[in-house]
Parts: sequence; structure tokens; C-alpha cells
Amino acid sequence: MKRMMIIGILALTLFPSARLHARVKLVALPERARMVLSLNNPSATLVEEERVLPLQKGVNQVDFSWRGVNIDPNSIQVRVLNHPEEVQLLNTSYPPNENALVWAFSSPEAREERMRITYLLNGLTREIVYKAVAEPTEKNLTLRNYLRLRNDSGEDLAEAEIGIGYGAQFKKTIAHEEVMELLSERIENLPVKKVLTWDAGQQPWDPEYEKQTVGIPLSYVIKNDQASKLGTHTLLPGKARIFLKTKEIADDTSAKPGEGVAFTGEDWVALTPVGRELKMFIGQSRDVKVTQRKVKEDRTNLRRNLANQEVVWDTDEIYKIEIENFKKTAIDLVIVEHVAGYWKMVENSHPEQFKKKDAFTFEYHLNLPAESTGAKKTVVSYNLNRFNVQGNEPKDF
Amino acid sequence: MKSCSFFRRFVLAGALALCGVSAAQGRINVVTLPGRDSVQLTIYNSADLTLVKETRHLTFRKGLNRLEFSWANTLIDPTSVEFRALSHADEVEVLDVRFPPRVTNTLEWQIQSEWSGEVEVEIRFFTSGITWSADYVAEVNRPEKLMELAGSVRINNQSGEDYENAQVRLVVGTIRLVESISQLAQAGRPGGSKAVAEEAPMAMPAPPAGPSARGGRAAGALMMADGLAAAKPKEIIKQGLSEYFLYTVEGRDTIPTGWAKRMPSFKGSAVPITSYYKYERERWGDQVMRYYRFKNNRDSKLGNEPLPDGQVAAFRIVGDDKSYALVGRTAVKYIPINEEVDLELGNDQEVQVKPALMNWEKTDLRFDNEGNVKGWTVRETWQVEIQNSKEIEVVLDVRRSFSGDWSLKTEVAYDRVDASKIKFVRPLKAREKQVFTYAVTTHHGVNATR
Repeated sequence: MKRMMIIGILALTLFPSARLHARVKLVALPERARMVLSLNNPSATLVEEERVLPLQKGVNQVDFSWRGVNIDPNSIQVRVLNHPEEVQLLNTSYPPNENALVWAFSSPEAREERMRITYLLNGLTREIVYKAVAEPTEKNLTLRNYLRLRNDSGEDLAEAEIGIGYGAQFKKTIAHEEVMELLSERIENLPVKKVLTWDAGQQPWDPEYEKQTVGIPLSYVIKNDQASKLGTHTLLPGKARIFLKTKEIADDTSAKPGEGVAFTGEDWVALTPVGRELKMFIGQSRDVKVTQRKVKEDRTNLRRNLANQEVVWDTDEIYKIEIENFKKTAIDLVIVEHVAGYWKMVENSHPEQFKKKDAFTFEYHLNLPAESTGAKKTVVSYNLNRFNVQGNEPKDF
Repeated sequence: MKSCSFFRRFVLAGALALCGVSAAQGRINVVTLPGRDSVQLTIYNSADLTLVKETRHLTFRKGLNRLEFSWANTLIDPTSVEFRALSHADEVEVLDVRFPPRVTNTLEWQIQSEWSGEVEVEIRFFTSGITWSADYVAEVNRPEKLMELAGSVRINNQSGEDYENAQVRLVVGTIRLVESISQLAQAGRPGGSKAVAEEAPMAMPAPPAGPSARGGRAAGALMMADGLAAAKPKEIIKQGLSEYFLYTVEGRDTIPTGWAKRMPSFKGSAVPITSYYKYERERWGDQVMRYYRFKNNRDSKLGNEPLPDGQVAAFRIVGDDKSYALVGRTAVKYIPINEEVDLELGNDQEVQVKPALMNWEKTDLRFDNEGNVKGWTVRETWQVEIQNSKEIEVVLDVRRSFSGDWSLKTEVAYDRVDASKIKFVRPLKAREKQVFTYAVTTHHGVNATR
């Protein structure tokens, strides 16, 4: 099917009678003067196209029709740009069984008028793609942010100004069924924090009882703020692939080793507005070993009913977490602990690193020294009491 | 326009002295076809109902006159057709109305006239298939403080009948119908004659039978010719009418069947708006909903009329060349004059609300005689982190619900919505983050006093 979008100025003088078969129509076809694709809204593609229409004095009929192009007919609007006070839209008519509408404009004189036609176009899909190359230290990375467009709209979009609300604006031609990837932003030397997260609610407590080495989830954390060379716009959802710079071994030992990259993992980036952190889970570390044990669990202040059933009690609990870092570099580790009900911390080996997240969750933010194993391992312990336990304590909210 | 409808025949039986001839026998008549002088459409938006009023000039003879009115391929309610003489009303009397047997979509008036000569008559009836709806375009400026609101009305004619040069009136309001007009139209005659309806089903007039079959754009040309007469947008005059509002479109319009027509209704410029956000976990989970809040009153450059329910497309001007970004499309409820409106624009993740329960204590246990717990008190401390990542100021409305015997302590201002709900309304500057806390104590079991 031939695809087309037509805008025509109907020559009305050719209609001597109302009953004339009006499919015979003579129209002037003004070319597009400008086309803007706005991708600001994640669920819709807004097209604004401008055309210069030659208007006669009096009422002019402008016919806008399309075929093989997926336009939302209820979204079509027109704005008069040069003389909005003088050239007025009188009404819009919708013929039956056609992808078309007819605007009636009045013009006080014969003139050329620039019009902007706005509509929602289906079939132009977009993806955001992030590619990051981290320095070997994993403290900085170069982030490239691409806009990937796929045009299944049915229309060849020629010389379209494409904007997603941030970064570079493009002026490109994208044909029907063409896919195009455009570099929106490139940020060099962006600070990144590498963090391991061991969650007591998700990871096994004692690796000795596991058949395989326990991997600890590894994330890169980027803050969408100016200090991180970001903070100008919301980071949109998309897939991020992370690479790490490597030194390649030259074949000739006398030659200078070249630089290459190794792929370290990928994750879906969540929508991250300005001021918030973006956490990308990209893999697991097996060079850090965490062993957690409950070393004391006493029930105290036990209260029984007349049937001698235990009704309410308190507890006295001690936990010990041993952490070994086998890596040759220091690393940040977050330990996440969950405690249901009403509790209070009695004693805590790492008060500086302790952070209460909510009523039932607290964390230790630790920096593990390089090769802190054996006698050098990090040991965290805490003693807490629970009160008025009945066995139905809330653990989330 | 004096031409008679393509579908509807209005027949004045010529030989009046032949009144003794039965209607069944009299199907072969010598007739004149008086044209329509005027037609008025009153279209309701709450029901599929349009009141059509047309006037014609008929010539009566003294004595008994028979008038046949028939319609086919339309959606006219046969129970609604009425005849009234506008001139010589005292001398023209309808004796009865007959719906001939075995004939659908036809009625016959027996009219006694004491006047011989021309009489202006009015025919009124209901039809379905003509609807109207309102829609709006909201264009807000970059800081989202001012809005231009343009309203339009769109009339859609699928009735099977062309209404040429009609005065169009639109009714805003809710009326009650105990039977749908389209069902009554399908029956073809009063009394819900199923047999007739089954014999001659006419759910909707088949589009090819309409003017579109005669070359759709022919009718369009008609509309265009109609449009040529006016060099400015038609004014839509609004007036209150009991519990309704009546919009009368200036001048005359032609809306052929199959066509729709959209006309500007009003425009309010520089309408002050608030970029308002709401958070209520019980309604939307963790999502923060975005609204444009404004008032339909004179201070807001509106308030001349209630705003009918309809679709709104909201755009924000983002470029120096007035280019748009689509904010969202939504439906708006009927808005009375002076009402405050919240245009709901969906979830916006750039404004975030994160309530966190930071402390939970269960205390003041009380036991019954058996030693079981019969009363306790829970004290919760909540911390609410609110963050505006946008580059504009917003107002955030955070609602929290409680149940039972609860009491609240907080340093921040709040309003009680009802017995179990409060709201914190917090203005947030561009890119501002705030944290506030509140403590709620709930007494359970015998500890509760209310």
C-alpha cells in the first residue's frame, strides 16, 4: 500500500453544486517546511509539522488526509503561526469512512500562512540505551546515552528534528522500517561507586553449608546530580551495558600493550529523576565471603496464661557477622539486616557504620580493607532485645 | 433550504374528499411534497437523544385532511412524532394519528381544518444517532503557572438523515430516559411491535444508504459551501435552563449523516493553574499522580459557563518557538461554574513520596483474668521523604489513613480529611527535597477508648 500523508488546499470554486461528486477535487499540495518529533512523553510520539499554506481572502478549506500512516485522528490540531489573530480556524469537519479532516480557515486577505499541525503518531518506537566504560579503578566511567528509534509509522520522516527533552537535538531522515541509533549524550569521567550488598534476608548465612561459592551482588551506583556531572534531566529507563577497560597483551613483548575492554555486566536502568541514585546490579563478587550466625537467643520476661501457654515474651539476641575480603583492593560492602516487631539495639560493634533504614531494617556500610582475611577479617556483632513478642510481629509496612 | 429530506417523505394527500378511502387502500395518492422551511436540532450529551423541530408550510382544504409522514433508514422514535399548527392554530385540529398496518416507519394524521389555505406547521420528533461531545486543549507555559484552555464541541451525525441548514443547540446536563430512543426507533411504530421490528430491523441506517454513498464529499462540499458564508468562528451562545445548560451555535449548520463537525466553543487565556500532585497509597499505591488545578471562575478568566465533560489534551510549551511536549490526555468531569478542577494527568515519577516507618513499639500490655493479652498500644514513628526532581514549583498533597483509636503528633501542618484520613499539603520548590515526621499512637483491645 502506498503510504502518504497529504495536506491540500481545496479549490472550492470547482464545486458549483452541493450535490456534485466531490471526490473530484483540485488541491494545492504545500510541502512540509519543518517537522519536529517530540519524544518527551514516554508513551506517545508527538509530531509537529509546519507547512506554508497559500490562503485566499475569505474562507479556505484545508484538507488533511493520510493513508497507511497510523495517526490518532483525535489528536490532530492546527495552530496558525504568522497571523494567529487574523487567520482563524472556523471549524473542522470529519468526512465519513476516510482518514481525513477538513479545516475551514478564514483569512482577511490572500497571503501565505505558516501552520503548525500537531498529532500523535503511532509506530515510532524508541529505546534508551546506555553504554558505560569504566576505568580499571572502577571509580569513574564514561557514559554514553543513545536514543534508538525504530520507524514503523508508515511514513518516511524526512529531515525531522528529533528531541527527547534533553541532550542533543537531531535533524535526521528516518525512513519507514528503518532503525537508527543516535548518541544523545557522552559524559566523561563520571564518578561511580562500586558496592557489594549482602542481604541477610536473601543470602545464605553460612557459606560452609553451600555447595557452591556464594556470590554477593555487585552494583554500580551513580547519583543523578551535578557533582556526578549529571543532574540536568531525568535518566530514562533503558538497558545499560558496562564494560571495563583492560590492557591487552601485545603479541610482541617489546610492543606497548594496547587498551581494550571487557564486558562486566548489564542491567535495566530504572527511571532516575534528578537528585536520586541509580543502582545497576551488574553481577556478583565471589571474592568476599560473609558468614552470619546468631550466637545467642534467650527468651526473657516470659508471661503465661492460666492454661500455662506462653503468651508474651522478650528476647535477648546476639548476632555475629564475619567478613573476609580476598581481593587485592578495598571494597564497600553493605550488610542488610531485618528485625521484625518492637526491638532495641543494646550493643553494636560498628555504631559509625550503622544506619537504620526503617523500623524493621538496618544496615552496616563497611569498607573492607584489601586482603582482610583470616585474622584480619572484619567482624561485626550486635546485641538486640525484642519486646512484647507474641509471634505475630510486623516485618514490613 | 426548502428541499425535502432524501429519506423522509412528508405527504399531503391531495384529494381530501377521499377521506373515506382507507389508509391501506390509499397508498397510491396524488401528493405534494412540501419542503422543510427550517430545522432545529437540540442534541443531548447525556443520552443518545436529539429533539428535531422542523417547520413547513402546508396547504389545507376545509374539512378532513390526511397527512402522511414516513421515514426510512433513520433512527426516528415513532412514539415521539408530534404535529402542531403554528398559524391558524384554532382552526386546525388533529383528530387522530394512525400507524398503518403492515407498513413500517409511517404514520398518518387525520386533521380537521376550518381554514382553507396555507398553514405553517411544526413537526417535532426524537431521533438517536446524533451526538455531541466536548473536548479541550490545555496549553500550559513552561513554569506551568498559566494555561490557555480552548474548548470545542464536536457534533457527530450517524442518524441516517441529513439535516441541512439546521440551527444546532446542545444541551449540557443529565436527563432521564426510561426507554432508549434507538430501541424505540427500531420498533418502527409505537407499542414495541416486535414482529414489525423483526421484519424491518433498522438498528442503524446502513451508511451506504446515506449521503456518503452519494459520494461522501458531496455532502462535504455542502458543508464547505455553508462554511464559506462565515468569515469568523461561529459564536456559541450559552444560557442556563433549569438544571441544564443550553449552547446555541450561531447561525445555521449542515451536518450530513456520516459526518462530524468540530467547532470552537470558548477560549480562556492566562488561566492560573497549580501544578498539583497527590499521593495516597490506598488509591494509587506508590505512584504520585499529577494534576493541573484551576478554577472555573471569573478570576481565572473562565466561569462564563459550566464545562461539559469531555477529553482534554494537555501540552506544555517547551520551546521558544512554542513547540509542544505532550503532558497527557485525560477525561474531565462536568465542571460547574466556580468549581475547582483537578485535571488528572497520570503518574509522574519526577515527584516522589517515600513514607518509611522508622520506629514501631508495642507497649502498655493489659491482660484479662485468664492471662491473655486484651489490650495493647502501638506507637509508630513515620518519616516521609518528598522530592521534587522537576525544574518547576509544585504543590504536593500527601494523604495518610489510620484506623481505630488513633492520635497523631507532628510538627508540620496538616488537615483532617475525615475521621480516618489526614493530608499534608507541601509546596516544593524546583528540585527541592523535604523530610517530615509524624508519630501515630493507636490503642487496641481494651486500651481503645473510642
